[in-house]
Amino acid sequence: MIRSDARLKARGALEFGVDLDAPGALHGVLIRSPVAHGRLRRVDLDRVRSAPGVVCAIGHAELAELLPSGRGATAHPAFPAAELRYRGEPIAAVAARSLAEARWAAARAHLEIEPLPIFAQIEDVFPDWPGAGEGESEHVNAHVLARQGDVEGAFARADRVVRGKYRTAGIVQMPLEPHACLARVDGETWHVQSSTQSPFGAREDTSAILGIPEEQVVVEASWVGGGFGGKGAGLLEPYALLLAAAARRPVKLQLSYAEEFELSRSTLPSIIWVESALAGDRILGRRVRLLLDTGASLPGRDFATGYAIGFIAGPYRIGAVELEGYAVKTNKPPFGPHRAPFAPQCVFAGESHTDEIARAAGWDPLEFRERTGWREGDETPLGQKVGPFGLQEALERARAIRERWKKELPAGTGLGLAVGFWSTGTSAGGEVLLRLTPSELVVETVEAEIGSGSVIRGLVAVAEEVTGLPREAIRIGRTDTARGPYDAGVYGSRTLGALGNAVGDAGTKLLQELARRIPGRGELRLEVIGGSCVAVRNGSRVTVASLLTDSERATGGVLARGRHYGRGGEILAERVLTGGFYAYTDFTAAVHLAAVSVDRETGQVRVLRYAAIADAGRVVDPPTYRAQVEGGVAMGLGEALTEETLWNASAELQNPGLLDYRVPTILEVPPIEVEVVEGFLGAGPGGAKGGGEPPVIPVPGAVANAVADATGARVRELPLTPERVARALKLL
Amino acid sequence: MQLLAPTRAEEAIAALLDGPEGRVAVLAGGTDLLLDLDEGKSSPEVLLSLHRLPWRELTWEAERLEIGATLPLAQLEQDPELARRIPGLHEAVGAIGGVALRHQATLGGNLVRASPVSDLIPILLALECEVGLLGSGGERSLPLEQFLLGPRRTALQRGELVRRVWVPALPSAFRWQRVRPANDVSQISVAVAFAPKEERWRIATAGVAPLARRAKAAEAILRGPSPGEEAIAAAGASAAEEAEVRQDRRATDAYRRHLLRTLVLRAIRAVATGVGGQPA
Amino acid sequence: MTPSLHLLVNGVRREGAVPPTERLLDTLRWRLNLRGTKEGCRSGACGACTVLIDGRPRLSCLTLSHQVGEAPILTVEGLESDPVGRAVLETFVAEAALQCGYCTPGFVVALTGLLKEHPGATETTLLEGLQGNLCRCTGYSSIRRAVTRLSEPKR
Repeated sequence: MIRSDARLKARGALEFGVDLDAPGALHGVLIRSPVAHGRLRRVDLDRVRSAPGVVCAIGHAELAELLPSGRGATAHPAFPAAELRYRGEPIAAVAARSLAEARWAAARAHLEIEPLPIFAQIEDVFPDWPGAGEGESEHVNAHVLARQGDVEGAFARADRVVRGKYRTAGIVQMPLEPHACLARVDGETWHVQSSTQSPFGAREDTSAILGIPEEQVVVEASWVGGGFGGKGAGLLEPYALLLAAAARRPVKLQLSYAEEFELSRSTLPSIIWVESALAGDRILGRRVRLLLDTGASLPGRDFATGYAIGFIAGPYRIGAVELEGYAVKTNKPPFGPHRAPFAPQCVFAGESHTDEIARAAGWDPLEFRERTGWREGDETPLGQKVGPFGLQEALERARAIRERWKKELPAGTGLGLAVGFWSTGTSAGGEVLLRLTPSELVVETVEAEIGSGSVIRGLVAVAEEVTGLPREAIRIGRTDTARGPYDAGVYGSRTLGALGNAVGDAGTKLLQELARRIPGRGELRLEVIGGSCVAVRNGSRVTVASLLTDSERATGGVLARGRHYGRGGEILAERVLTGGFYAYTDFTAAVHLAAVSVDRETGQVRVLRYAAIADAGRVVDPPTYRAQVEGGVAMGLGEALTEETLWNASAELQNPGLLDYRVPTILEVPPIEVEVVEGFLGAGPGGAKGGGEPPVIPVPGAVANAVADATGARVRELPLTPERVARALKLL
Repeated sequence: MQLLAPTRAEEAIAALLDGPEGRVAVLAGGTDLLLDLDEGKSSPEVLLSLHRLPWRELTWEAERLEIGATLPLAQLEQDPELARRIPGLHEAVGAIGGVALRHQATLGGNLVRASPVSDLIPILLALECEVGLLGSGGERSLPLEQFLLGPRRTALQRGELVRRVWVPALPSAFRWQRVRPANDVSQISVAVAFAPKEERWRIATAGVAPLARRAKAAEAILRGPSPGEEAIAAAGASAAEEAEVRQDRRATDAYRRHLLRTLVLRAIRAVATGVGGQPA
Repeated sequence: MTPSLHLLVNGVRREGAVPPTERLLDTLRWRLNLRGTKEGCRSGACGACTVLIDGRPRLSCLTLSHQVGEAPILTVEGLESDPVGRAVLETFVAEAALQCGYCTPGFVVALTGLLKEHPGATETTLLEGLQGNLCRCTGYSSIRRAVTRLSEPKR
């Protein structure tokens, strides 16, 4: 069987966040801001409290009495005291016996709000790229600027300059399971079960928002119905806990899909300028400028601008580079991570531009990338040495696929290539506990399986490799933040790398401990005989049961704690002029090819074929790895063609539902050819690189390049809706 | 809220007449009305469900098909004759939702809701369907064009229910454009039918005006079963010119106008050449 | 007023008082504790709540419990008792046609309904019928592989 959770999932037998329930549990509903910017003058919840079925209703005024004395006032409390920063921001919450009653009551809140000016779009802050001295604004969350080499000189010497302005749209993660949690307060302990990608992250955020020590907050993950970055931070947990504290009963809180669209932190629009100075087939210099809408993010929460901007410059040898970006504060909901945060958007701009350069100069886009693409040992614009990187080999594979497709596909088909690179992360740390019992090995972790297979399959596969046990004898034992070892979370393509290394570390320690108990010199391995775990050394077999100490027998087995705290790379500080830039860890390439047909009368694009070549380092479990690539491509096709949040001038989301926010259906996603390049090793177990995020990154660029190949028309705005393609075709 | 589910037509009509005026909502497939209830857009005192009425006929007559008002679209789609005898209707039903939604939604519900983005109304308009309305005094029939008064407004009178629809079996075609080809709301849709006896072409469009409507000036340009390319082009241009075109989050007016011309041409050609089916 | 209701769910007759506008989805999940049927968009746009009524795929979020009447309901929990359902389940497990598993009950139920209605259906018919079921994890690739196997003519 490919996945041990498949049978239970197919039968609907697992408990997700939305399935959580407890005797006497109440249902919570958030009362949210009807305006994108305003000052709260009055919050009157009397009519909410008097509604049928209501047990409690709370807002900012109630925080002090609900929270341990003196701790009611945190820097960013659960409910704002005065300023409302975005539409849908929670102002208060109500708990009632039924969800219907809570909904009905929530609508009865009396809010007096003084409207404040709304900054809905990037252009409301910066109508164009801000010139020197124009970037000072209270609507800037961050300004980043880095420079390598003589950029002015490069442009002065160029024999050709290619420029492009690109726009990308807001997108939402849209896991099929919305955020949901179940909270209760037992004395000093604030306990919440949640559909979360990061129990410790949720604990940290909840602690900060409520002003309660982290040790008093206990987070336990349920099964997670998809995350994609949207469930990596504390979101509902503080509200559910506050309601549970006020009601003195368990409270279930779950977002509707409409709420999910507004509250799940995701990617917002951007405007990107790229210009390159060329001489022959060399890129002498490049300027990248980024205006990134970060919504109503709080200051200091910008993680994207100085990170993402490097992906626009691309994995290419460039003589001189200038990167400058602004995190623009608007009254949209706060920006947040979404599977390879903001990289598909950056790479759309960068790879569209790369093709535009190649076409302008008459080079084959693939050959141009071969000539200019990074090899190990090259230097990034920020002065970091490029580590093992499978780009060149992946391009070679792409060439073979392209030649085959050219023979097989009809004339008029557009073929597009794009290169994504990503720094798959092992730098965020984590720990696991292995428990070897007489009959099984349990991997104890706080992390839930969110779907990717990185926990239920990836960690188990690493445990198989290190101990020798078959997968049937290894199980994930999920625990909570009070009992479990620390881990950063299931995000950032880090789970297999970081937690997998922790499993490897724990497994090695476990075997060492057993080896102490069995005399001899040979390697020790574990196997299963007749349902019992057996240690094998020097040809002799000893049951684990007979190796346990009395105390281990009482506590359930031999324990080994494994840790992984990785290091990131380093950048040259002198290249950073302003703001925060970050080093990469594992350099991971993804080379994609799209074949499209374009209806030249309507602008409709159909993806006929798709191929993804992944720079995997080492593949630990091929079916799971392939499934990650396939899923990433489909998500990328949505970003390329149909997905887009639409905001009006009042910063109101116009399409908070699946009717007008169009994720791909089974008919939009063609069969996907997946190839893997191995041997360019990363820092994960046995050289594995993370696989969850890279496959989404090149997709919009590959599709845009394929459309340009088919039609000669360049669409510089995501997504490539039929209307945008029609305009590029000059049909309107 | 009270739920009534009568088994006999007279009981249903009586429930409509006995209930407080304007406070009885009629529930067929529920794909639209139940969302309104959830969002508080509708809060009737009585919900009159038609699901127990024996109104699911699917009967071929000599030159037309009788469809009971509560027949789920999936059963209409599965009729073995439909694709051959009324290709445009087959195409339109096939363009709607996934399998579960098609088992839920009904033709009667679609007509009564009179949604501006209905994919069924344009083809039924082009085919010049008749709608059978049942009231306490018996059943009357009305051409669909007279039944539809505007978006979400129909000629149904108090105490009346849509009982059935008669669809003439004619060469016809349905074409649509969406941001996402599958299971999306159409930006525009176009239906064309040809009535051989009268040698008349009929064109209807949706997504353009507040409600689907006929493009009669364009129709008048076309003559005979195989109009030439010149006439087809003129009809397309005329359809694009005559329409009052709306603009919303799904498409600009300029794009809609462009699509209108393109899809009218395609639909006419499909009928003229007897080729059905939106190309994949 | 909460009128009483009789339902035939997975071959078992259930009864209780249910408000007139309660959705079948909520009755199944919270009164009958059959939480395999998943709550998604609640607006008919995702397919996660698909059940079979009289053997046909229906959206339980857009169906009133009182509308079901005598018709038998089959949910994902009852799929193993149905020969077609069992084949669909086995194929989804063998192909691991799932990741997070949240949309999976809707897919296996819808596919079971499609195969019951169209025995020997082509892959195209099955894929077309699944356009109302959204999956965000798999990219539909493994689901497509399962569909291919299920549409192969039986020997």
